[in-house]
Amino acid sequence: MSNSEKPQPPTSQNRLLAALPGKEYELLAPHMQRVSFEQGQSIYEPNEPIEDAYFPLNGVISMLITTQDGSSVEIGLVGREGFVGYQPLLGMKSAPNGAITQIPGFSLKIKSKMLKEAFDRGGRLQALLQRHIQSQIVQMAQGAACNRLHEVNERLARWLLMMHDRADSDKLPLTHEFLSQMLGANRATVSLTAGIFQQAELIRYARGTVTILNREGLENIACECYGVVKAEFDRSFDI
Amino acid sequence: MIAPERVYPQLKNWILAALPPDEYERLSPHMEYVQLPHGQVLIEHGEPILFVYFPNDALISLVTQLSDGATVEAGVAGREGMVGLPVVLGGDSTPMQSVVQIPGTAIKIKARVIRDAFNRGGALHSRLLGYAHALFVEVAQSAACNAHHHLDERLARWLLTSSDAVEAEELPLTQEFIATMMGVRRAGVTCAALTLREAGLIIYNRGHIKILDRDGLEAAACECYRAIKAQFKTLMGNGK
Repeated sequence: MSNSEKPQPPTSQNRLLAALPGKEYELLAPHMQRVSFEQGQSIYEPNEPIEDAYFPLNGVISMLITTQDGSSVEIGLVGREGFVGYQPLLGMKSAPNGAITQIPGFSLKIKSKMLKEAFDRGGRLQALLQRHIQSQIVQMAQGAACNRLHEVNERLARWLLMMHDRADSDKLPLTHEFLSQMLGANRATVSLTAGIFQQAELIRYARGTVTILNREGLENIACECYGVVKAEFDRSFDI
Repeated sequence: MIAPERVYPQLKNWILAALPPDEYERLSPHMEYVQLPHGQVLIEHGEPILFVYFPNDALISLVTQLSDGATVEAGVAGREGMVGLPVVLGGDSTPMQSVVQIPGTAIKIKARVIRDAFNRGGALHSRLLGYAHALFVEVAQSAACNAHHHLDERLARWLLTSSDAVEAEELPLTQEFIATMMGVRRAGVTCAALTLREAGLIIYNRGHIKILDRDGLEAAACECYRAIKAQFKTLMGNGK
């Protein structure tokens, strides 16, 4: 099923937009346009000018660092709790990291210039977006420690839970190759770990789709980083 | 009022040093110069942030602390930055810890004061947002680096970053501290340091590491060093 045939998620599914007062939202709404992304589609290339921001309604976007040897490591996930394209708000035109679509879905697109004008007016939009950027920094810092110190099984469980939180379904379209790239881990190790999860009936894995069978089981395996980052994003809406 | 340059000829913090006079004068009654000893925790994770710090010649590690006590550095704040960014971006606390890596001076300001000044807009606002972006890039690069690069390369990068921040070739750091920051065993750092020493890039003795061959050390460091440095250069070049 292509995106155009899928049911259209309501705008209120993006938590940032949903948290805006009506008046602020109405100022933005005429400038936002619904777009869809296919799996693997590039949203930003590293060091290219960023001209639009995207507020996901569903689906998941990965922020990636590509190292000189050509391999990519995921540094953060963004779903309907967030947005991508924050750089122009901070006065920067580009970023060294790229972003791609991890799970296809719809986003609301707005010109960076328009978003920056609204952001500079202050209000709740500015407060929410600034706070969200802080949470993204925490997500990455936690990832820096997690990538260093936690075992692949803990990290795989954490990552599947983060995806599951942001996806609308128990079925996640993911290949082993993609998983190992996202975790910055050896593909054979990731395949082995996914095999163990399957035997324990935590997930089912077939033809590029991971189905979450036992969420609680994954929560027991995942490292603390899952809870720390989730709490940080949840708290960011309390301001 | 006495011009700050006369009292403190060494005001090096990039964010404060180039504020327009009116913004600087509003803040200056609230500035306190403090000496920060190695190892002092400026912000404890999960605790309310009451003060922010603008490092002058001190260097602060921003550290993720795991529940078993293990720590890994995700970034550093030197004279280009401010410790306590969550205060202005909108949080009262953070899961990260800020701890003094290289002792020195910093300007300490109450969180409430800096938040009010930030919210008034102006140069302080845009500089802190620019700094937030540079920190974002640094932390992102660290996450990738930790997953991907060898300890020798990471140690070289780490030493260069610290050296740049304090503008000194000699660093008062123990291998134990470095191991803690890098999230590796002490033996791992010892081994990597030995490799760098045998290549004639550094020498070290108890609690001190000296860079002998900067170009060589840059060649030995992973790409993350240059990536992060370029970002801060862009930031500080745009600043005026």
